[in-house]
Amino acid sequence: MSDATEITIDDLKRIMRESAGEDESIDLDGDILEVPFAELGYDSLALLEAAGRITREYGVSLRDDELDGVETPRAFLDAVNAALVRV
Amino acid sequence: MRSTPPSDTVPYARRGVALLFPGQGSQQAGMAVGLYRQHPGFRDLVDQVFTAWGPGAKAVRDDWLTDTPRVPLDSVGRAQPLLFAIDWALGRMVLDWGIRPVGLLGHSVGEVAAATLSGVFTLDEAVAVMRDRVEHISGAPSGGMLAVRASAEQMAPYLHADVVVGAVNGPRQVMLTGSTEPLAESERRLRADGFTCMRARAVNPFHSPALEPAALRAVPALSALPLRAPRLPLYSGYSGAPMTGAEATEPRFWARQPAAPVLFGPALDRLLSTGDLLLVEAGPAQGLTALAKRHPAVASRRSAVVSLLPARPGDGSGDLAAVRSVLEQLVAEGHLASGAEAELVGAGDSR
Repeated sequence: MSDATEITIDDLKRIMRESAGEDESIDLDGDILEVPFAELGYDSLALLEAAGRITREYGVSLRDDELDGVETPRAFLDAVNAALVRV
Repeated sequence: MRSTPPSDTVPYARRGVALLFPGQGSQQAGMAVGLYRQHPGFRDLVDQVFTAWGPGAKAVRDDWLTDTPRVPLDSVGRAQPLLFAIDWALGRMVLDWGIRPVGLLGHSVGEVAAATLSGVFTLDEAVAVMRDRVEHISGAPSGGMLAVRASAEQMAPYLHADVVVGAVNGPRQVMLTGSTEPLAESERRLRADGFTCMRARAVNPFHSPALEPAALRAVPALSALPLRAPRLPLYSGYSGAPMTGAEATEPRFWARQPAAPVLFGPALDRLLSTGDLLLVEAGPAQGLTALAKRHPAVASRRSAVVSLLPARPGDGSGDLAAVRSVLEQLVAEGHLASGAEAELVGAGDSR
């Protein structure tokens, strides 16, 4: 487990890539902070999986409802980083 | 929001347009309501479906347009007619722009919308099929569907008579379907084994054998229809391949669909194997857009996917912007004359 107090867009991109299967492809090149997750190939199930990885890796607890309305990587990072501070 | 897809910056030969139609599970409160209120052409098309539906359509429409529906949107009697109406109207709108798609592919009820646009059913016939389906399925066993981040093969240990794979949406995206308690048991075991799971918005075990007796009650009504071979290339989520004339004209092929597994992933694979395509999702929620984005043909930017509706309806103001953005892409790729977007969407009105 990491003891980081903040995760960055690069951390998130790494986790998003790790959560894609070997037989899947995703395109996260460029500035994706404001790109809706659906356009990045992440529906709510795939996003939930990425959130699960972050929860385990960073020891942060995210309630399911904290992801409600989270549509972009920026909003996702805000939610996770708020939770990290809370820990 | 990435308003223009990255493909804009990449040189390409003109790509064929293919339409994707979402099904059960994609319904959202407020879906397409902004477009219905602001786009007279779309509104007229949806109203054609309601008119064809006849008695009962007013209650469906009222529940769609209010924040406090009397019958929940996830029930068969609301989700199915509304998804059909929105999918069909969006697809019809694109055809009316003069686009000649090289493929149509629908998920679940989306396949009925796709088949109607390709001439298997007239609109009146399709609406009759949908009414019949809603009536039969409303009395079917209750249950649900569970989305799992896994391959169909990985699901084998979690299946039994009452829980089956109802949809293969991608290499690592499946839906289990089953009656309430057995499905809950499979979900507990999957979660314990570390799988990411999410309940889908369905109150019946769609695409499971449990629905087959109810679904097959549609055979007599379908047998009375003059089913026709598709006039536009139609891909079936049930065979994972182009729909043949024999399939399209077989009443049981249509009757069984609510009870048969959906092979959307394989069908999308097949569609994208025909060449570089511009996929256009014609329905709510962008679920098929997200699936397509993971396909190597799209992730590599050879093919692309755009959506006529936003991922979430919000206050409805994003609907028209989504349509305009698709029009811009069609203009950019040479499918429509420059300036078409202004003429086709117009300023909108607020009837």
